[in-house]
Amino acid sequence: MEREVELVVVGGGAAGLAAALKAREEGVGEVWVLDRNEEPGGILPQCIHTGFGLHYFRENLTGPEYIHRFVRRAREEGIVMRLNTMVLRLTPEREVVAVNPQEGLLRLRAGAVVLAMGCRERPRGSLLIPGGRPAGIFTAGTAQRLLDVEGLLPGREVVILGSGDVGLIMARRFVMEGIRVRAVVEQLPYPGGLSRNVVQCLEDFGIPLLLRSTVTCIHGRERVEGVTVAEVDGEGRPVPGTERRIPCDTLVLSVGLIPENELSEGAGILLDGRTGGPVVDEFMRTSLEGVLACGNAVTVFDLVDHVTLTGERAGEAAARYLRGELPPPRGVREVEPGENVRLVVPQRIAGEGPVTLYLRVSRPLREVRVEVGGRSFSRKAVRPPEMVTLTLGREEVGELGERVPVRVEGLPLER
Amino acid sequence: MEVRELTCIVCPVGCRARVRVEGGRAVGWEGLECRAGEEYVRREVELPLRDFFTVVRVRGGGVVPVRSTGPIPRERLLEASRELAGLEVEGPIRVGEVLVRNLLGMGVDVVATGEVEG
Amino acid sequence: MRMEEFEEKVRADPSLSRVSLRARLEEGTLFLEGETDTWEQVVELGHLAAGVEGVRGVVNRLWPRGLPRPERRREPKGRAPWDGMRADVVVVGAGIVGAAIARELSRYELEVVLVEKEEDVAWGQSKGGASWIHGFAGMDADPSSLKARLCVEGNALYDRWAEELGFPFHRPGLLAVVMGEELVPLLEVAAERVREHGCPVRVVGREELHRMEPGLPEEAAGALFFPTYGVVAPYAVTLALVENAVANGVKLLLGTEVIGVRVEEGRVRGVITDRGEILTSFLVNAAGLYSDEVAELAGSPEFTIHPRKGEMLLIDWKRAGACRHNLAPGELSEDPYTKGGGISLTVDGNMLWGPTALEVPHKEDTDTTREGTERVWERFSRYLPSIRRTDVITAFAGVRAATYTEDFHLAPSRRVRGLVNVGGIQSPGITAAPAIARRAVEILKGEGLELREKPSFNPIRRAPPRFRELSDEEREALIAGDRRYGHMVCRCEHVTEGEVVEAVRRGATTLDGVKFRTRAGMGRCQGGFCTPHLLRILSRELGRPVEEITKKGGRSRVVVCRIKEPLLRG
Repeated sequence: MEREVELVVVGGGAAGLAAALKAREEGVGEVWVLDRNEEPGGILPQCIHTGFGLHYFRENLTGPEYIHRFVRRAREEGIVMRLNTMVLRLTPEREVVAVNPQEGLLRLRAGAVVLAMGCRERPRGSLLIPGGRPAGIFTAGTAQRLLDVEGLLPGREVVILGSGDVGLIMARRFVMEGIRVRAVVEQLPYPGGLSRNVVQCLEDFGIPLLLRSTVTCIHGRERVEGVTVAEVDGEGRPVPGTERRIPCDTLVLSVGLIPENELSEGAGILLDGRTGGPVVDEFMRTSLEGVLACGNAVTVFDLVDHVTLTGERAGEAAARYLRGELPPPRGVREVEPGENVRLVVPQRIAGEGPVTLYLRVSRPLREVRVEVGGRSFSRKAVRPPEMVTLTLGREEVGELGERVPVRVEGLPLER
Repeated sequence: MEVRELTCIVCPVGCRARVRVEGGRAVGWEGLECRAGEEYVRREVELPLRDFFTVVRVRGGGVVPVRSTGPIPRERLLEASRELAGLEVEGPIRVGEVLVRNLLGMGVDVVATGEVEG
Repeated sequence: MRMEEFEEKVRADPSLSRVSLRARLEEGTLFLEGETDTWEQVVELGHLAAGVEGVRGVVNRLWPRGLPRPERRREPKGRAPWDGMRADVVVVGAGIVGAAIARELSRYELEVVLVEKEEDVAWGQSKGGASWIHGFAGMDADPSSLKARLCVEGNALYDRWAEELGFPFHRPGLLAVVMGEELVPLLEVAAERVREHGCPVRVVGREELHRMEPGLPEEAAGALFFPTYGVVAPYAVTLALVENAVANGVKLLLGTEVIGVRVEEGRVRGVITDRGEILTSFLVNAAGLYSDEVAELAGSPEFTIHPRKGEMLLIDWKRAGACRHNLAPGELSEDPYTKGGGISLTVDGNMLWGPTALEVPHKEDTDTTREGTERVWERFSRYLPSIRRTDVITAFAGVRAATYTEDFHLAPSRRVRGLVNVGGIQSPGITAAPAIARRAVEILKGEGLELREKPSFNPIRRAPPRFRELSDEEREALIAGDRRYGHMVCRCEHVTEGEVVEAVRRGATTLDGVKFRTRAGMGRCQGGFCTPHLLRILSRELGRPVEEITKKGGRSRVVVCRIKEPLLRG
């Protein structure tokens, strides 16, 4: 089928639904949300734990509860949802080609497109972990889906590689379901996830956290039988002689999230090598006219509340763009991540502000000064798992030069 | 009297506190930098509570996510999980619908956080 | 070298002083027995023995002290559904060679049974390894060796195979690149050696080389270009062969291992499997890594396999433009028994880098290693500097079935009539497969198998549709015929539910079976997205509980049980 659609949103998770709802609120007549899953909500329906919405709703909600509010509103607001629908490609002319069982091939010529595909997980293969290729190796998100959506146990005795939040969350879920978690293994000298999760997912259950360590071999031909764990040096290389074998039947990997960017790349959209997602300005515009991006497809956020806000920003900007009221980028300032800054979004500032910057630091620091252009902001402490948010008002934005260096200074923060 | 080590999770500093505990009460502490931290540490030592959430089996296959309407003692998390293990529910179920009243007599209900079709 | 010289050499070598060796030459087979310190010594002695005058095969039973021996249980399974089955020919091993032979035999009025111990076909060497259809058997191969001759013969037969059997195949050619001006004059010398094999080749100078392959670094000074080098997916060829063989009447018995051979009065009478005995007078041993063991079970030990592991890296197809031809180092590799590997294009746009070559004692050792991975990266990344580590999707390893003569062992047994050994088929086995199959059938004829052509034989096999490769119009038509082709279950390779269902129809019962037939799970997310979908589809199509679905048969269950079972058990 072929038709013109005012606004097409790719992805019906937190970011996409927020964008769609905001656009609708701002008067866009026809908003289509395309999602490849059979139910909307993106990753949220399988995140059954609490901690969502503390900022956005000032409530402590589970993932499903959080997203339900958006899904329900989407239904009420007449947003067109197309589920089981996979977008195959996006052209520079904003044609969205997708497929689903009911309608076959859909060719939508969009007035504007919001990319909200979210992110995917780094698999074992990309880490090149040596050993066999038995059954029983899962990324944490896949294990989560199997357990908390399909109701199936990925294994009985688990080792988790990576102490990012997804891995920590799953450690707790496993224990609560009678699955034994032998250890969480982390390459860095500090955990990758929030302290709250280290306490409530590991310490609460007596799960050992092995820092400065990694899995050096996966054993088992048909099914995982164990892993060898070794300490690593400052460069992440295993230290000979420190190997020990941990028997288990499952290895769960929580070793990195990557924005889904095949559609962006295919459309020729400029990507940021640091984030893995499109370069965007404060309106969430990408380098392609009429195409915006938001949520984890831009960079992996720490809180869904931030994902929602970037979605709303994209939706609002899309609405203005469709009305012809969004001024084209002029005098664009490039944000340049500097010392101790791993990444920043947006990467460009195109307007007069205010602008909210989200940045991730590359190591834990205390007594922190964040310098943006000429301005300085202080923070008591910052850690990689928690993004630093800064809002620059119109005056501050007005002072910025063509290049906006962002750097973070501080003292080392030990745990 | 014992001394317990805790990490405060109130802010990213993550102060490492050493707390003197007597008769189940926090009688003194060091390593904390703020009021909120003190309150957190006191509660953690005296009566740590946790949000409780899990999934419950749905007849015909699949599961529905659920939570308790209020936090429960940390020590009873696994017990609560076991209590719901045998439960099987049937659609339709709305978000917020009560599935179990007064879980283990703790004064909280268990409600659905996801929907199930009829 | 004569036997006495061989024994003297071993005695005199100080590095072999702790080796206890007993050697005996019997009708062209040299038997080695005893103990060594290391596996390397076992292999060294085996190779040395292959050079003895009059030796056609080496049976090397030397074993390192203290090294655990592989366990071979060889027990009957519970039930014996094949017991009493009759066949004119039993082919053991459904890899590319066994499948090709079975398909050739299906041209004739014969009851052919193809027996495979795994749950699916092509799970031995035919699923690992590079994708090359070689133009020749390598610089170190003797042009008069069997593998060299069958390689060239097989190469020429691939176009017809691809057309009849519907598998993807094309000939991008191979550039063997030298880095450094001083090596360029040697290229013509090398080219002469290549021509001795009957393989077309020409020298390419610096300018032309960089025009042909702009992705090469500045140091690339010249190359040999081999226009007949092609690429296939060996597992896809095997699947096509099996489907065609079965369509033409061959019986495929999966999950069936040969545990014995009944020989009476010096001739094959039956093949004993772990699910019953199949009565037959002709046995084709195409059991790959285990072909030596099958020969031994038949009372005809004439060669042994020493496994040689190879590790490879898989590069994301989004970098498909980086390279237009297969590439190989122009310098000879250090290991004389291996061609050194290279950068292989594949039929799907990925690149395969490797393989390495490492002698290992255990046939099942397909573990990847840090050293192997680094070796591949170091060796090949210099040829394509634009490829980054983050473009590597995964690493995997396979094991070659190498004999000590390092040549194919394709001959009727000297001891047992009716047994044809097709053993030690390592690289260029995929290339040689069409020629091996013809030879094997000729040998069977020579052994007395009557061949009457079957008029109903249909050489054509149609491949299943691949959504990913179709135009939008073709996709529309496909979905209109079956809605399930509109449901995408693999995000990376764009594989639809319809294709998965078709794969099950064509024999897939496991995740890997689906993977090799459809590519679902081969992409950059490595099954992260598709696994829950595939489990559900397999469970539904096979009518089995999802907890019983395996990755690759046996004990490789993907999920262990339903949620709450451990809590309820207490």
